[in-house]
Amino acid sequence: MSQSVTLNVPLNRVEGDLEVRAELEDGVVTDAWCAGTLFRGLENVMLGRSPMDSLVITPRICGLCSTAHLSAAARALDQLAGVEVPPDATRVRNIALITEHLQSDLRHTFLMFAADFANPIHADLPLHEEAVRRYAPLQGDTVREVIRETKRLVEVLVLLGGQWPHSAYMVPGGVASALKAADLMSCRLIVERFQKWYERRILGCTVDRWLAVRRLSDLEAWLDEREEHRDSDLGFFIRFSRAAALDSIGRGPGSYLSFGGLDLPEGTRVRGPRRESRLVPAGYAEGVQVRAFDPTKVTEDVTCAWYHDYGAGRHPMEGETKPYATGDEGGKYSWIKAPRYDGRPAETGPLAEMIIADNPLFADLVSRQGASAFVRQLARLVRPAELLGPLTAWLHEARDGGEYYRSPENGIPDGEACGLVQATRGALGHWLRVSGGRIAHYQVVTPTAWHTSPRDAKGVRGPVETALLGVPVRDPENPVELGYVVRSYDQCLVCSVHTLRLGRPLGRAPIGVG
Amino acid sequence: MPNSLFWIQGAACGGDSMAMLDVSDPDLLESLELLDISVLWHPSLSNGTPAEHAALVEGLLHGEIPLEYLVVEGAAVRGPGGTGMFDTLRGVPKKNVIAGLAERARYVIAAGTCASFGGVAGAGEVEASGLQFTRGERGGLLGAGFTARGGTPVINLPGCPCLPEVVVGALTALAAGATLELNAYQAPLDWYGMLVHQGCLRNEYHEYRVEEDDFGRPGCLFFHLGCRGPLAHGPCNKLLWSRRTSKTRVGVPCVGCTEPDFPRDHPFFSTRSIAEIPLELPEGVDRAHYLAYKGMAAAAAPDRLSRRDTRI
Repeated sequence: MSQSVTLNVPLNRVEGDLEVRAELEDGVVTDAWCAGTLFRGLENVMLGRSPMDSLVITPRICGLCSTAHLSAAARALDQLAGVEVPPDATRVRNIALITEHLQSDLRHTFLMFAADFANPIHADLPLHEEAVRRYAPLQGDTVREVIRETKRLVEVLVLLGGQWPHSAYMVPGGVASALKAADLMSCRLIVERFQKWYERRILGCTVDRWLAVRRLSDLEAWLDEREEHRDSDLGFFIRFSRAAALDSIGRGPGSYLSFGGLDLPEGTRVRGPRRESRLVPAGYAEGVQVRAFDPTKVTEDVTCAWYHDYGAGRHPMEGETKPYATGDEGGKYSWIKAPRYDGRPAETGPLAEMIIADNPLFADLVSRQGASAFVRQLARLVRPAELLGPLTAWLHEARDGGEYYRSPENGIPDGEACGLVQATRGALGHWLRVSGGRIAHYQVVTPTAWHTSPRDAKGVRGPVETALLGVPVRDPENPVELGYVVRSYDQCLVCSVHTLRLGRPLGRAPIGVG
Repeated sequence: MPNSLFWIQGAACGGDSMAMLDVSDPDLLESLELLDISVLWHPSLSNGTPAEHAALVEGLLHGEIPLEYLVVEGAAVRGPGGTGMFDTLRGVPKKNVIAGLAERARYVIAAGTCASFGGVAGAGEVEASGLQFTRGERGGLLGAGFTARGGTPVINLPGCPCLPEVVVGALTALAAGATLELNAYQAPLDWYGMLVHQGCLRNEYHEYRVEEDDFGRPGCLFFHLGCRGPLAHGPCNKLLWSRRTSKTRVGVPCVGCTEPDFPRDHPFFSTRSIAEIPLELPEGVDRAHYLAYKGMAAAAAPDRLSRRDTRI
């Protein structure tokens, strides 16, 4: 007998507030809606302020991607000031961004994603008991180690910026302080130590051995090769994910976006793919067919978001954010806008970066099996293996007393600029206009907005909404499968703030779908 | 029986939670164990189901589950028009949930500037405030007269984010039954009875008025670059971040993030001055004497400072 159920799920372990509504038919998701339920209005706080204030306010959009917001804001100001960032300052900015990625990738995987491996719903799996031992919240062996080792890694960010999160050390023209030999040595030791731990505990092999895994068959061979591989947290993650069928859920729309990131400083020995000037190339892909990225094709649509409609999607430089709090009326159901690239939804983040960089393993996995919650999280878990080499190289190249700051000669003149970066969770853009020495326009489009986007004018679902279709839910009271799919995108809802001007009072619950 | 702790986020960025993961030795998990604290819920770390979370919140609100510590991160959102619907949990204004839990907890702790005073969220138009203050004004979500069941008002631990060692320190003091003496903004004097300036490695430059007007140099950031160190209350330069360093030590001006007026309207990286002396002087300082003293100090500056020879 066919059974229809509607689930309303507030999700924990996503940063910020997300509620997912799903319709189930015979235990399978037939439709889904993602709603951002928090609105802080930080872009509006920027208006009328000094352009330099973006370095203080915008990192506070997100306590997880603080460095990425700082770097996007600083890039936009570099552009306005017309100043070239000296190579050593580029190294420091890159070192900071990579460090933020590394700690976040591990914290997300083991404190947030794998926490559900310990969920009693998996009690029938032979691996469950071990999963509890490793990943039980605040207690598991891996959880303990991840907290201890990532906090040590964060010390690199502290040495560069004075604190993490929320410092303002990236400034137009470079970074605020010149690194001393002693600081550089400390950073190198911290990273070397971290790499040893990551290799021993997480990979179960050296970074080089892992990077030799270039296709699905290599992955199988790697798993069979040694006990250390199977028992490492990566090996366990692969085995558990397969046992729990996470490789068969959460395919998503199959389109991938990267704004590109980590500029290669002049004189570096680090090389990017395809002779790019950046370590992480920009691009847009459908399946694994990669095309060039065109920043003018980014738009935001507000048909289903609580803002005044403005017809078709608008580029963020022309975007407007006038709240229109309708409650359940008219199909609006989220505070998050719908970003689109060339009119289409797109996934961003580590998997998108891998595909756009022609990473052979992930190109092979996605061509054979399509994306899934498993593949998406796997990309996040092994991204540190791709980034540790460049991180170490840049730490060795940065010079004691090198040039870390070039003062902008004419301050910050009026004009328009954008700062596009790859945050830990994917493509992040700041678009601003300065007029009369003050910020006149500031729009932020975040990775989480790309992912948790609501439907657009054509009724096309956002990536997470699409990824939820067809997902089987064993127990509607404990819908762990929905959590896996949603968390595989590593949401950071607090990022998805938009400008607020006072709107009409909301009379009804904002989760409602018209 | 372990002491229960419930962590709830209002209009938050998660930064205070992230900083908690970085707490030094003993680390976060060791600290919780040593203090015999059982975390009933943390939004980023707990793996209970949505139904279990709902039941837990209900149980706490009805007093069926005892609550020792309520930790609130992020501002209380009251907009639009006082409804609180800009921040909801299952369709209910989050502010109502926070207020209900505060009635039940033995101690209520505001972790960070947003929960204390409103912070960056309070600077916008979502009608956000702290738990007992709206910026510097008493009131806030719970009202000026609120005291938790343990007899103390909300304990404010401002900072954007709050130094995690301060949160653990406050929990340690409460667990030990020690009295936390609070300042006028309900922040414990043990950590907020000092200035960020105290312990800054640039102090000698400040003393002799060897000042910088641009980034990248070791001198004092107070006179031109907007540093709030001599006015902002907090232990950044005593405890240090990750026991390593601080913003002012690496050349980033203090933005005064522990203060009720954060974020101020004036540009962060410039100092308002009269006759080349900052309009706002270090806390408690008399202008005429300061003017004379700084004039003499600048003249007395040793060459090693004027040449920036001293490495810090």
